[in-house]
Amino acid sequence: MNRRKMLGLLGISPALLAGTNAEAQVKSKTSKPPTASAGAQKFEGLNPKGTPPAIQLIPMAPRLDSLDGKTVWLVDTGFEGGGMLLQQIQLWFKQNMPTVNIIFRRKAGPYMEDDPALWKEIKAKGDAAIMAVGH
Amino acid sequence: MGIPTTPMVTRAFKELAILNVAKRGMPHLRITFTPHPVASKTPEQLRAYVEGNDPISGKPMMKEIVDDLTVPLSADEKKTGFVQVSVGPEKYPPDTLKNLQQFYHDNAMTDFLPVIIPTDDEVEEMLKGTSRKPEEVCGRMAGGAYPPWSYTVRQVAINAVMAGCKPEYFPVILAIASSGTPSLMSSTNSFAYAAVINGPIRDKLNMNYGIGALGPFAQPNAAIGRAWTLVSRNLANGGIPGDTYMGSQGNNLNYNNLIIAEHEAASPWVPLHVQKGFKAEENVVSMFRGLGIVPGQGARGTSTDTPKYEEQFSDLFSVFTGFFGGLVVADPLIANHLKDRGYDTKDKLIDWLYKNTTQTVKEYKSRDFAYAFDYPRALKGLEPYKTWYAMPDDAVIPRWPHRDDVNVVVVGGQTNAFFQGGSLSYTVSVSIDKWT
Repeated sequence: MNRRKMLGLLGISPALLAGTNAEAQVKSKTSKPPTASAGAQKFEGLNPKGTPPAIQLIPMAPRLDSLDGKTVWLVDTGFEGGGMLLQQIQLWFKQNMPTVNIIFRRKAGPYMEDDPALWKEIKAKGDAAIMAVGH
Repeated sequence: MGIPTTPMVTRAFKELAILNVAKRGMPHLRITFTPHPVASKTPEQLRAYVEGNDPISGKPMMKEIVDDLTVPLSADEKKTGFVQVSVGPEKYPPDTLKNLQQFYHDNAMTDFLPVIIPTDDEVEEMLKGTSRKPEEVCGRMAGGAYPPWSYTVRQVAINAVMAGCKPEYFPVILAIASSGTPSLMSSTNSFAYAAVINGPIRDKLNMNYGIGALGPFAQPNAAIGRAWTLVSRNLANGGIPGDTYMGSQGNNLNYNNLIIAEHEAASPWVPLHVQKGFKAEENVVSMFRGLGIVPGQGARGTSTDTPKYEEQFSDLFSVFTGFFGGLVVADPLIANHLKDRGYDTKDKLIDWLYKNTTQTVKEYKSRDFAYAFDYPRALKGLEPYKTWYAMPDDAVIPRWPHRDDVNVVVVGGQTNAFFQGGSLSYTVSVSIDKWT
């Protein structure tokens, strides 16, 4: 799948990927289908790709007017360092936006497991959430 | 979740994050990026991150987070519906083999070694290796942390051709593909994969389970393993660095994986597939996933009559994390020696290894895998993690959480009492016969 084409289909500028991720230096050139050279025997190669699922667009939740007096959950997903980063964010809110009520929680289970009970609790008791992924 | 939510991601995962949210249907999700890494940083360093700028947008990080949660949504951010993504035409325009070869490389559809160009004729020939219909859906596989792709028998055949398989190998490839197990894992840990093949098909295909069995000395061993990687790459979109593959260093085993045809005739023990509940005459492929395999550091004591191979296995496993299983890969000379010393079943050897390969609780807790995976399980009350986390630091516990984390296979040409140890977990066994 051409990643830039896919982002274009979804209304995202493929330029977003420009200059990303210095560590991933191996990029595919995604060249155009080849053009025949004169004289040589030619063959038709088959596409070896599988079939991706359709992408269902999910609308984002409406935003808040402001965070004043609101409860914001900080969710540590369990990657190394994520929790410590969130602790600093909690301190930042305390010092710079003291009217914001902060609740810190580490998601249950390893980072790749869903935690529907926590999402339900946050929706019931919170106004917004910040999820921090470390590494 | 239904309330404003914003994720934070380190800059090293920018491409992954953008593509992930797009493929999951929220292409405009507002993401704040931090410098990388956040692990192993002091509170002061992390405080500087928080008070600094998002390294991608250049905006002050905390202002960006507040804006993400409060700036009204755009029309694009409210969109619903479905988007179908194309992977291109079924067939590419005619060209020379040389040009096509380069085209497949340039579009990341190979392992960057020469492939057989999959023409209609080649694929039709491959399809003769199975009675299954070409358009039957064979399975689904996720390359990376994305929803899985699906594929037909014909699409698997295209990749089997590219890898250099003969039609008679095809049922093995279909069995592997049907399991949905990719051999290219997105993890930053540079995973390796292994497949153990049991049953009469090993001889039918002329697989090598003797001298040099794990080396590049037999077409079926080499091509079957390679096909698994091409299947993972093309049918599941796996192995795209920065997108579906994040292994920091990569793993050489990913070229054609660790393919082990067990030497059933020379082994004193039941073969692996029988241990997993299959009949001896069935053809089965069993898959393993983990960090890789390490050679035993030369057998000790073979010049005497008392080499303690079980202790040597245990020594080797003692440098492994224990998060993955332990896979003993023993030459038949070792297996038979162990049998003569009383280990007349694999189970007895596994029991000994499980009980005698140990670690302290302090060592265990110090590992990142324990922090990321086992500690949350302990909090959920799962055993043995809950008990282990409640024990004192100097308490001694098994290296693996469960006895069945240890497996044993026998392979090799009996030229030396040699063994290797895999940091590899058993995942699943699949019938090959169902795909003939």
